[in-house]
Amino acid sequence: MGAISKARSQAADAGKFVADWMEHRAGVITIMEHFLYEPVPKRGAWIYTLGSATLFLITLQFLTGILLLFYYVPTTDHAWNSIYYIMNEAYFGTLIRGIHYWSANFLLAVIGLHMAQVFFSGGYKAPRELNWIVGVVLLLLVVIIAFTGYALRWDQDGLWATVVGMKIGSYSPFVGAYTIQFLMGGDTIGPATLSRFFAIHVWLLPAALAPFIGIHLYLLRRHGVFGDEMEYRERMAKLQERQRLEEYEEYEDDGEPYVGRRDRADRD
Amino acid sequence: MAELQKDPMTRGDFLGFGVLGTIVGALLTIPPAAFILGPVIDVNVRGESDVPDDWFRAGHVSEVPPDEPKAFVVAFPLNQVYSERQVIEEGVDTQEQTLRNAIWTSWKDLKPPGFIAELGQNRTPGISREQVIEAQGALNVLSSSCAHLGCPVRWLVKEDGGEFLCPCHGGIYDINGAYVGGPPPRGMYRYTYEVREDGYIYVKHEFDVGGDKGSQKPFVI
Amino acid sequence: MYAPATGKQQPVEQEVITEENVFERPDETVAFFPKQVLYDLFISTLLLLAICALSYVSPAPLTEPADTATITYVPRPEWFFFFYEQMLMFFPGYALISFGAVVVPTVFVVLLFAVPWLDRGPRASSTRRPFATVIGLLVVVVVLLNMMMAVSRIINFPGQ
Repeated sequence: MGAISKARSQAADAGKFVADWMEHRAGVITIMEHFLYEPVPKRGAWIYTLGSATLFLITLQFLTGILLLFYYVPTTDHAWNSIYYIMNEAYFGTLIRGIHYWSANFLLAVIGLHMAQVFFSGGYKAPRELNWIVGVVLLLLVVIIAFTGYALRWDQDGLWATVVGMKIGSYSPFVGAYTIQFLMGGDTIGPATLSRFFAIHVWLLPAALAPFIGIHLYLLRRHGVFGDEMEYRERMAKLQERQRLEEYEEYEDDGEPYVGRRDRADRD
Repeated sequence: MAELQKDPMTRGDFLGFGVLGTIVGALLTIPPAAFILGPVIDVNVRGESDVPDDWFRAGHVSEVPPDEPKAFVVAFPLNQVYSERQVIEEGVDTQEQTLRNAIWTSWKDLKPPGFIAELGQNRTPGISREQVIEAQGALNVLSSSCAHLGCPVRWLVKEDGGEFLCPCHGGIYDINGAYVGGPPPRGMYRYTYEVREDGYIYVKHEFDVGGDKGSQKPFVI
Repeated sequence: MYAPATGKQQPVEQEVITEENVFERPDETVAFFPKQVLYDLFISTLLLLAICALSYVSPAPLTEPADTATITYVPRPEWFFFFYEQMLMFFPGYALISFGAVVVPTVFVVLLFAVPWLDRGPRASSTRRPFATVIGLLVVVVVLLNMMMAVSRIINFPGQ
């Protein structure tokens, strides 16, 4: 036995030992297999990349957001300067902030496409209603995160978008004034506004977003992905044939009550 | 996995859940709610504002030209969070924050009182009591924040005079700030102001909504 | 871990296909790993490359420091708020502003939540439920039209 093949078998043994050890204590292999070997529809695989692209872009948001926090300062005196530092002085600052900015833009576009795809393929139909609802919640969270993130730059664009947003909010029936005072942290825009938008953008809504993403994925796995009717045409053909046969059978022995066609009666 | 074991809930268990749940629930909801709703309580219950209810100097009446409006910038002190007066007095190395407002001033229908032309650029002597009343009645002191969605309104010079134009959604106002066209629900907001004998215009950070409604605090800025 | 959804426990051959369970298992399947993961990775890589390139070609903007006292700055929303901003143009005056700015979007969001109950038929394909499809297309067209109108308004604004 050569030295190389001996080392290889030793490494394989060590790997197997670690895998067994982890499997015994944490069930890691079972979980991995459960995640990785789930059967998914063969047709329409490319459609599903819309969802995973959304997940990927949100992950980029979390990653670069955490990185930006190493330099960003959420005060009216320093916010603009700290971003100026990130853009001009920090190593790869342009790239890190660029990824945060551009993936946010792509994210909203991809979410729109993802949503349109689910709508037009009827992916929200029973038993997947709940996942549609969770998806709409995710959409709202992402839009509000995008809006609050805009203010953090404390530049003209961010400030005036916030002013207009607050003014729009002030027109809400009954609760308008209270809502915007809560968001601005007072009766005018100022340092409190930046602090609050920072808290909402960085902690509150991402913390809410993460579990909803988890629920979205769990429900997806529970009911399976649904991209298009095309993936089910053989099963639908079988169903239609059975229904035709049953109809024929009923026609043959007229008068006999037939119990096996409830699902058809439901539809009509 | 082991079988599930479902024990019945006794009266004592139920009471325990009720009492402990109430204690934990109350402690974890009421103080946090008050903590983050503080500013709303300050404004609506205690009637406080982040900008002090004082007069601040905008500019001299002679600076308002006879043929077009003039924008003055007033920096109101802003007592908000770490810029509150007490924090600035007792805190470390603190800088007072200000809320800068651009204030459009113009003569009503572009008809300045006669003494303005005589005054020229000379601001030292001040003006008489009669002139104060005359100037007070002839001035428009308008908020540059559009009455629609708060965008900064600009003066647009046209052949037949000019108009205030909001760049966001195209709200249009005339020289007196009255509504002319576009989506705004009303004319430009007018500051509470007074002209004093030193010849300067003083404003409060509040809008004079006129008639029996008195004044209201500006939205947003 | 996961409680299996109804019908999944039965082997394929014994399963009676009904209108309820027809969409529970596709005709042909493939393991999530490696094929699907590879496709996902492909798209993600493309996106990441595009994002990194754009970060340098068109860096994330940082305009002048905030100034509430400007009279020359022109506020413009981000592109994904264009359609909403344009919609505000159509609701002037006190009563309509709050209607257009708050009430209409709220109703829209509520309807969005209610979509699975507004369209309950068993048909999934968009060609077999024309009503839902037409409504959906109308929404898309209205959003795109509003966006285009906002863009043309912004381009044509004097002094930009």
